[in-house]
Amino acid sequence: MSRRIAIVEDEAAIRENYADVLRKQGYEVQTFANRKDAMAAFDIRLPNLAIIDIGLENEIDGGFTLCQALRSLSDTLPIIFLTARDNDFDTVSGLRMGADDYLTKDISLPHLTARIAALFRRLDVIDQPPTPESLLHRGKLTLDIGRLTIQWDGQPVALTVTEFWMVHALAKYPGHVKSRQVLMQESKIFVDGSTITSHVKRIRKKFIQIDEEFDCIETVYGMGYRWNITPETAN
Amino acid sequence: MSLSFRNPFGIRFKLVFLSSFLLVIPWLGYQYILEMEQVLRRGQEQTVLGTAQALATALNERPELFNEGSYTPARRSEDLYVYPIFSALSLDDDSLVDWGEYQQYEVMFGEKDQTRTELNPSRYYGADETLSFRNMVGEHNGSLYAYFKVIDDEIVYRSRDALSVHRSDFLEITMLSKEGNAINRYVVAPHEPEYLYPFQVQDGYSNPIHEDRISGQWYESNEGYEIELQIPMDMLGDRLGFAIFDVDDAQKRYVETVVSTYRVADAERLGSLRLPTPEIDRIVAGMGHNNSRIQVVDRSGRVLLSVGDIQSATGVLLTADPDEVPSNKYWLYVQNKILNPLYYQFLTKPSNDFIDDLYSDVSREGAHINSALEGEAATQFRTLADSETRLLEAAHPILANGDIMGAVVVDQNMNGLRTFRNQAMETLFNTMLGVMLIVTLGLFFSASRISSRIRGLRNQAEDIIDDTGRVRNTIVATRSSDEIGDLSRSFSNIVERLTQYTNYLENMSSRLSHELRTPVTVVRSSLENLGLTASNHESAVYIERAEEGIKRLNLILTNMSEATRLEQMLQTSEKEKIDLVRVLPGCVEGYKLAYPESKFEIDISEQPIYINGVPEYIAQLLDKLIANAVEFSYPEQPVTIFCRSLRDHAIIKVSNAGPYLPEKMKDRLFESMISVRPQVKQDQPHLGMGLHIARLITEFHGGKIGAENRQDREGVVITVVVPLFYR
Repeated sequence: MSRRIAIVEDEAAIRENYADVLRKQGYEVQTFANRKDAMAAFDIRLPNLAIIDIGLENEIDGGFTLCQALRSLSDTLPIIFLTARDNDFDTVSGLRMGADDYLTKDISLPHLTARIAALFRRLDVIDQPPTPESLLHRGKLTLDIGRLTIQWDGQPVALTVTEFWMVHALAKYPGHVKSRQVLMQESKIFVDGSTITSHVKRIRKKFIQIDEEFDCIETVYGMGYRWNITPETAN
Repeated sequence: MSLSFRNPFGIRFKLVFLSSFLLVIPWLGYQYILEMEQVLRRGQEQTVLGTAQALATALNERPELFNEGSYTPARRSEDLYVYPIFSALSLDDDSLVDWGEYQQYEVMFGEKDQTRTELNPSRYYGADETLSFRNMVGEHNGSLYAYFKVIDDEIVYRSRDALSVHRSDFLEITMLSKEGNAINRYVVAPHEPEYLYPFQVQDGYSNPIHEDRISGQWYESNEGYEIELQIPMDMLGDRLGFAIFDVDDAQKRYVETVVSTYRVADAERLGSLRLPTPEIDRIVAGMGHNNSRIQVVDRSGRVLLSVGDIQSATGVLLTADPDEVPSNKYWLYVQNKILNPLYYQFLTKPSNDFIDDLYSDVSREGAHINSALEGEAATQFRTLADSETRLLEAAHPILANGDIMGAVVVDQNMNGLRTFRNQAMETLFNTMLGVMLIVTLGLFFSASRISSRIRGLRNQAEDIIDDTGRVRNTIVATRSSDEIGDLSRSFSNIVERLTQYTNYLENMSSRLSHELRTPVTVVRSSLENLGLTASNHESAVYIERAEEGIKRLNLILTNMSEATRLEQMLQTSEKEKIDLVRVLPGCVEGYKLAYPESKFEIDISEQPIYINGVPEYIAQLLDKLIANAVEFSYPEQPVTIFCRSLRDHAIIKVSNAGPYLPEKMKDRLFESMISVRPQVKQDQPHLGMGLHIARLITEFHGGKIGAENRQDREGVVITVVVPLFYR
């Protein structure tokens, strides 16, 4: 059975382009131009994935409202914000609303489809037992590449897919400095350096919520970031 | 380049300068008072002339008062002419100096006046031709004064033990008694030069009795002796005579020569006393209460009568009204110690302590008197040589039977008028000073108020735009309804609209990038779809080129909104204590990787330099500076990164060897969308945002950024100054 993806986007050309690509990938695609139509349809049946633009026709923050409504309907429904807005505030508020990912429209179509695939894959494997080869252990950190989930000291860390790939890129080779450019490539997003900085900050915060002692992500000024292994875990 | 001349005079100065024209008002007042003084002077002139005329009218047609010729000094007569003397005479001063000018009226008695008496019954002509005397008789204060200058070759005094009084040189006074029925004779025969001790004698010089009402002094002179004496007027009858008896032989003691003022000493033939007519006195005395010095002169200018003294003859009554005397002692102090000395720098304050040196109690002359004696009343002003005092003199002729008998001379000094004028001036100046002080202060304060308001407005206007040309503040419109208030309101209006426009401009790039993003996405997603479906090799090339272009467009859009995004992030960022010495080398290592073709030189302090900041932003700032430096650097030339702390600031310098900056661009370099890159170099999109971002970050850290051309070689150095961490 093909998965159903709902695209809520007021710009017809973009909406149809995305829809075409996704249909070619074998997904079933519903398109909506505004929040009202989308909600009417979602009330009847939820899609497997929702791609939402923030600004919808005459509602500046229509996407946020829609996201909240969807999240109230389902806790597990993956939601991706795909928007032209690339500032920090929107990113942070989007993710706080419960979106799984926040992508800017700079993203290329192959990247977009890869993200979508990754999200579905995480949904698929969420109930299956983790296979050892898909697990990456770095001290207290456990990365499940199959499910795109991360655990710190046994506790799950709620990272978005972008953030997961960034942590993955860092933790894969501990001690190596990863420049912002590299991190961008690894996490398959295309933004400027300062967005990477704010991503890293957010990741740190999420880890610190679980463990106040967390200091594995070190900033190497001017060059990038690196994953530090704490002495006890190295031993 | 035009020379700009800045007018150094502010509004305040101009207003005060203009207000100095107010000084004309006291000048006008001064002129007015001078004019008034002229009028008053004419008035005084008329008054004085009027007084003279009134007196003259009273004296008209009384020729007997003048008794033509009786005073002629040359006339020889038995009569004695009593001159009015207006000053007190001293009888014990051994000299006749105090008689002063009156001496000119003395009468000479000599050889021709030798008389035969009972003491020299036979006249010896030539017995002593040398004996002579000069005599002068005057009247002062109810007494008759007389002096005798006797020329005598041999002075024989009365011997100490002699009882007789006629056997020495002596003076005999013969007078008709008051009742007019007897002749009284008095003898002055001293033992030596001494105060007079006169005797009344009977016939034959017998029975001498001391007469103490007659006093005087006898003293010797070079040629003989001099006698000065005083007789009370009430002793005298109508007739009087004097005789000098001369004894030359001290042994024999015979009277050899007698010179006398009369021929025969009897009641009928004794010379009569000619006293000044009391009638003139009375008439003049009636006029004497008008603050003038009044004199009556005869035709030859001799003074017949004098009333009043010139010092008190002010003509104007000047007793100040006691109510007007200021009672405030502070004001009195100011008036006396400060204002008056100032005023009397140019006002003259004549003193009443002056001497009229042309004045004489004896005879007067002058143009006005000459004119009056010719029948024409005249006035004249005379300034005294030794003082500021001016005298007003008027003379009016006295007529009798069509002849001019003499003149009335009325003198007043002008001090009263002058004092009156000075008082008016003082009042005027006080008022003017007060008014001008108030007006000038008022003008000064209002000008200060206006200029301070204008300056406030100017300061506000200057504060609107900061050094970097951004609109920061606005003008608070005042509610005052005058022109400055209008100006302020219209300024405020302009600034408000300017702010809106600047905001629009500043946000344009980010809004533009946002708006462009959607169509770019449309194009890119379409191209990608096309790329996925296209099988044609040829079209794939074009699609690839189109995608390349789109990617570049996308980069431009990202760059365009970078500054706006950064500003938003800066608002929420929190600073921490960071060490520049740790941050910078790491960054430079990164640049060595990023720009493998460039060389970097580091000149960084070994001591830690702590600032309050965000390391990521500092790195971003350095990114922009290095990117800029590398781009403009000549090949094979190093980019130098310098960092030191200087006093309380950290200094970061990034310099490169490369083309100089155009002078005009130095300040604008850090503004948004400003780039000095030559057009040919545009292989990558540049929006001139790099240094703008550098400035935003520097300002976020409370610092300053500037670009300068290098002094040592061709190149540019960009300096960032950030305050050190301080807590």
